[in-house]
Amino acid sequence: MEDNYLISGPISQKIISEIILRIGRHKDAGGNMLFLGQVRADENEGKRVKAIEYSAYTEMVNAEAEKIKRTIFSEFDDVKSVEIIHSTGVVSTGEISLLVLVCSGHRQQAMQACSKTVELIKATLPVWKKEIYEDDSHTWS
Amino acid sequence: MEVKVLFFGVLAEVSGTSIKHYENVRSLADLKLKIQDDFPEMFHYNFRFSVNNTITDDEHVLKAGDEIALLPPFAGG
Repeated sequence: MEDNYLISGPISQKIISEIILRIGRHKDAGGNMLFLGQVRADENEGKRVKAIEYSAYTEMVNAEAEKIKRTIFSEFDDVKSVEIIHSTGVVSTGEISLLVLVCSGHRQQAMQACSKTVELIKATLPVWKKEIYEDDSHTWS
Repeated sequence: MEVKVLFFGVLAEVSGTSIKHYENVRSLADLKLKIQDDFPEMFHYNFRFSVNNTITDDEHVLKAGDEIALLPPFAGG
């Protein structure tokens, strides 16, 4: 069964804590790597970003995220689990919009696999962002 | 024969809709012409097509019930 990889709004501290607590289920894991993507207050042409509104093609996100996990498991034989969560809707600056957690037997593959997962998310997950500025104008990126 | 077409990101904003049904289209090339007639401004932007969640090219033959999406460059994270 496919997981749901999308969550409406920012990824809260509560969700992050719950996911971290689940790590303990993997008794064979000894190295875990967590990546948190945060909305940055970029400045474009004198205007500062106050939030990003994410939209996504849900079915394809689920299919592509499954593919990413299969790729990671086939390339990193020490990896025990890969968690991916991405926000949809409005996420303000300073809030978390992407979570990747890789549990591995040892640290090296945990770090490498986490990095590769984030890169694959950037390249293959059908997610779009509208940057909303402090004056409420916006641009697509 | 009817297919469902989804517009995402800036393309949904430019077209003012996120979904539209088209009839009598045999290939993506066919469909592209129809979309271009309806929303010429969309073609100022870069995008790719997917059919049933898989990115594909203009020669792809369509069948009834296919779900086609117009995908601007991804920007997740």
